[in-house]
Amino acid sequence: MIRLENVIRDYQAGESVVHALRGVSLEIGDSEFVSIAGPSGSGKTTLLNLIGCIDTLDGGSIAINGERVATMDKKQKTAFRRNNLGFIFQTYNLIPVLSAYENVAFVLSLLDLPEPQIKERTMRILREVGLEGLENRRPNRLSGGQQQRIAIARALVKNPQIVLADEPTANLDSKTGEDILKLMRAMNRTYHTTFIFSTHDSMVMDYADRLIMLHDGRIVSDERRAT
Amino acid sequence: MKFVLSLAFKNLTRYKRRTLITAIAIAVGLMMYIMVDSMLVGAEFESMRNLRWYETSSVRIHHPDYWKERLQLPLDTSIADPYQVVRLLDGQGIVATVRTTFAADMLLFAEDFGEDGNISTLVTAVDPTLDNTVFHFEDTLVEGRFLAPGENAVVMGSWLAEDIGAKVGYWVTLLTRGNGGFYEAMDMQIVGIVNCPNPNVNRTLVMVPLDTASAYLAMDGAATELDLRLSDGVDIDEQTTRVQQILTSAGMDLVAYSWEELAQDYLAIATAKRGGSSAILFLVFIIAAVGISNTMLMAIYERIRELGMMRALGMPDKDIRLAFLFEAGGIGLIGSLAGVILGVLVNVFMVEVGLDFGFLMRDMDMGYRIQSVLRGVWNYKAIVIALVAGIVLSMLVALVPTQRALKMDIPECLRHQ
Repeated sequence: MIRLENVIRDYQAGESVVHALRGVSLEIGDSEFVSIAGPSGSGKTTLLNLIGCIDTLDGGSIAINGERVATMDKKQKTAFRRNNLGFIFQTYNLIPVLSAYENVAFVLSLLDLPEPQIKERTMRILREVGLEGLENRRPNRLSGGQQQRIAIARALVKNPQIVLADEPTANLDSKTGEDILKLMRAMNRTYHTTFIFSTHDSMVMDYADRLIMLHDGRIVSDERRAT
Repeated sequence: MKFVLSLAFKNLTRYKRRTLITAIAIAVGLMMYIMVDSMLVGAEFESMRNLRWYETSSVRIHHPDYWKERLQLPLDTSIADPYQVVRLLDGQGIVATVRTTFAADMLLFAEDFGEDGNISTLVTAVDPTLDNTVFHFEDTLVEGRFLAPGENAVVMGSWLAEDIGAKVGYWVTLLTRGNGGFYEAMDMQIVGIVNCPNPNVNRTLVMVPLDTASAYLAMDGAATELDLRLSDGVDIDEQTTRVQQILTSAGMDLVAYSWEELAQDYLAIATAKRGGSSAILFLVFIIAAVGISNTMLMAIYERIRELGMMRALGMPDKDIRLAFLFEAGGIGLIGSLAGVILGVLVNVFMVEVGLDFGFLMRDMDMGYRIQSVLRGVWNYKAIVIALVAGIVLSMLVALVPTQRALKMDIPECLRHQ
């Protein structure tokens, strides 16, 4: 369960202050498949960053499974992210010198798991995202869709409670983007992982169980939908 | 840790050209350091040996009043019975020879030299039967022969001979003041020319037989100094103390000086040159540091988004720092190994062949007691220092840009283009 109460985030932009989030309150339950939508500058990425413990609050509070993340220090946040959160980025952010396998396995090596377990889990997730046989390829020898599949595998391989995806399909063509969304949906159903992804693409919004619309740092609508 | 090491290693191959250029810069720097250090240490080692072999001997004994007047080369504060001391030391297994040093005007005549003239010289009267047991002049004869007892003969350094146009067979007159202040003129024939490896000696050396000089100078068997030979590598202070104890125990009022006391001027220069060597080392490392720093700065700057991703996924800062440090250390290792290999190869040449600086040494006093070929030595400590310093320094200079990148907020890193 993710609970946000009156979350405020301001940025200094030169002389002026940008109010990225103006008192956002929100609850997201376990296993939800949530889309945060809105125009550019509406605060989508800021909201994801705050839930992902990679940004700091200026007001309000965030609790994930009862843990108040805003009060954690830097090391605690790092450990929290390592153990509980998965990230998928718009530009994949894979390490170019590592193979598909290594890009995924690296997350498990951070958890100090034994080598056989790392191998077993990595190969299983790569198989599930459809990259079996491509595990030794480096990202530059894979398509954009395949690279995003590695990113999804990397986010899911440690069985996190929550996966945060910032515009996961923005760099993909519509067909590949749809495939990625289907994959994310399937993973959400298989692993009961909470998915929260930002988008401004209506096709992507259609895949969500719940659509939260942001505008100027405020929630303007929050609707649950049948998919 | 395994992942950190693997990532660092793989990142080394990421920018091959940049890694290679930086490694080459480090390699050239370290090669230069090994070469310069080898030359300087070699020059110092050879200078010290040439000082002992041709200039100061290992230990010198004087009358107690001689030292403070030594620049005036006094004849009246001499050792009354030097051969008694030689025998005493011989009984203790120490080889010694007897010498008297005095200043003289050397008169040159038109018959031999083409025109009349004179030059001031420092004349060393040596015992021809003993001198080569302590010094090594006989080995450096390039013309004529060495001195024989009782003859009116001179052996001179080849550069001095060249400067005044002297040849074996020519006659010179040494005009000096004897013991007591009287003037004395000694007609001497040049019988030999030595090419001494010690340039200071080769530029000024005039040697005459001790017994001949003693008779002219009215020394009555006395001599101004005794020179002792000790094995290379002995603790010179300890041995000087031992000699002093032997003299004191025998009731002789004489003072022993180590070659280090006699060559204070040279040693002061050597110390300054060592400082110069350190400055060269420092400069070499600065160049290497700038190279590696620049490379790591670019590498880190280009990977800020990746760094943000790793931090977002929960990789601890210390692991990220280690990955960059290992990467920099890897470049340092490649450069240092190449530098050491190149340095060793160059040093083989330096040790076996050396560089001929004769054209410089002939007309310029560089302080070193080396006449021409500057040979290197194997200074293993310097090679190990170069290797370790190359790696450690590379890692250290990568710390600053890494720390700076780690201070950035993660969202800022992820937005980085």
